[in-house]
Amino acid sequence: MTNKEKLNMLEELLDIEENTLQEDARLDEINQWDSMSVISLIALFDDTFERVITPEEIKEFVTIKDIIDEMDRGDGNWQQES
Amino acid sequence: MATGVLRNAGIKGIACAVPDNIKRSEEYNSTFGADSVQKFINMTGIKKRHVALDRQCTSDLCYVAAKNLLEKLNWEPSSIDALILITQTPDYAVPPSSCVLQHRLGLSEDCITFDVNLGCSAYVYGVWMAATMISTQNLNRVLLLVGDTSNFGINPNDSATAMLFGDGGTATAFERTEGKEIKYVLKTKGSGFKSIIVPAGHARSRGKSNMEASDYALSMNGSEIFTFTITDVPKTIKNFLQQYNISDDNIDKYVFHQANLFILKHLAKKLNIPMEKVAVSIDRYGNTSGESIPLTLVDAYGTKKSSGTARLLLSGFGIGLSWGCIYLDIDTSVFLPMIYTNDYFRGG
Repeated sequence: MTNKEKLNMLEELLDIEENTLQEDARLDEINQWDSMSVISLIALFDDTFERVITPEEIKEFVTIKDIIDEMDRGDGNWQQES
Repeated sequence: MATGVLRNAGIKGIACAVPDNIKRSEEYNSTFGADSVQKFINMTGIKKRHVALDRQCTSDLCYVAAKNLLEKLNWEPSSIDALILITQTPDYAVPPSSCVLQHRLGLSEDCITFDVNLGCSAYVYGVWMAATMISTQNLNRVLLLVGDTSNFGINPNDSATAMLFGDGGTATAFERTEGKEIKYVLKTKGSGFKSIIVPAGHARSRGKSNMEASDYALSMNGSEIFTFTITDVPKTIKNFLQQYNISDDNIDKYVFHQANLFILKHLAKKLNIPMEKVAVSIDRYGNTSGESIPLTLVDAYGTKKSSGTARLLLSGFGIGLSWGCIYLDIDTSVFLPMIYTNDYFRGG
């Protein structure tokens, strides 16, 4: 999965216009980032990367890139396993 | 593992009473903003809920459900051997509300009567308790009442809970029935006790001087609860179905605790079952706590001229953390239509 595809997934999750989300965007500066998007993110990791990401791990994320890095990690593990 | 088969206990009737008073999610546009409310509706599926009037308690809703059920069954109140009330919103701190209901329903002094404090898992635990009493003891008829007025004690400014809960009271009549089987599994993970909690108002806060008003309201950690419902819950359901060799073909309806629509959809996906087989009431009744399973059953089967047998997989999960599954078959003619009421007890 490309970074662009991952960004598009997050745009859809956050209900943000396609191709407008930047990797360096800070989560605390994104209006749409709230408790419901945390739940959606847990579901996205579970659906797409088949692993559970904990609320504690999500709290450590500062930027969109942190989420994408985590996806890369998941992506790799998932591919290795399958 | 706490799992097994309970024999010779059958369900003869299920009734549910909800308040006549309706709250629509859009009514909160001015409090939380229209966009936030819409996002909430999209995720939870909740468009409206039945909310108890200030004077209307759980016991009042359960009373109406039980009264109608006993009349329909033509059961003499004196024939009830046990009354179990499961609620988190009793009438008083003490005494147990079940004792008030034993009196109001005119049950016998020989009736075993007690309250149990459980929430989202209340019904699966309640079915186990009622069926166990019949299966292992010399009792013939047990009345299980499960209800909550969860909107009591909610912080109206907390967007996570203010629009979430619906109120209701249910009654399920159990009777000794030779040949009937109820399969169950029940589980607990107390380490998650803080995930859904009202921190103040009881003994643990007695010595604390720094309690704030919000500590007396329900606090819910949505992401912790969600993680629990996509890990422990589907794992338990899968193991349960496997253990008893129950395939999807053996299940007519999956009736899950109505936590929110997003969770129901995600759970269905994880269990690889079509949403058409998942009963949904949350859109019109909200998250109805412990009574959500019998309420959803009444919503699904009570309005139609239902007949025949339904094979049901019930699963309740949440506060505690506490969860479990029940597998049983039920004659769908036992359900009463949904009851709407504003009645309350004047003698309390």
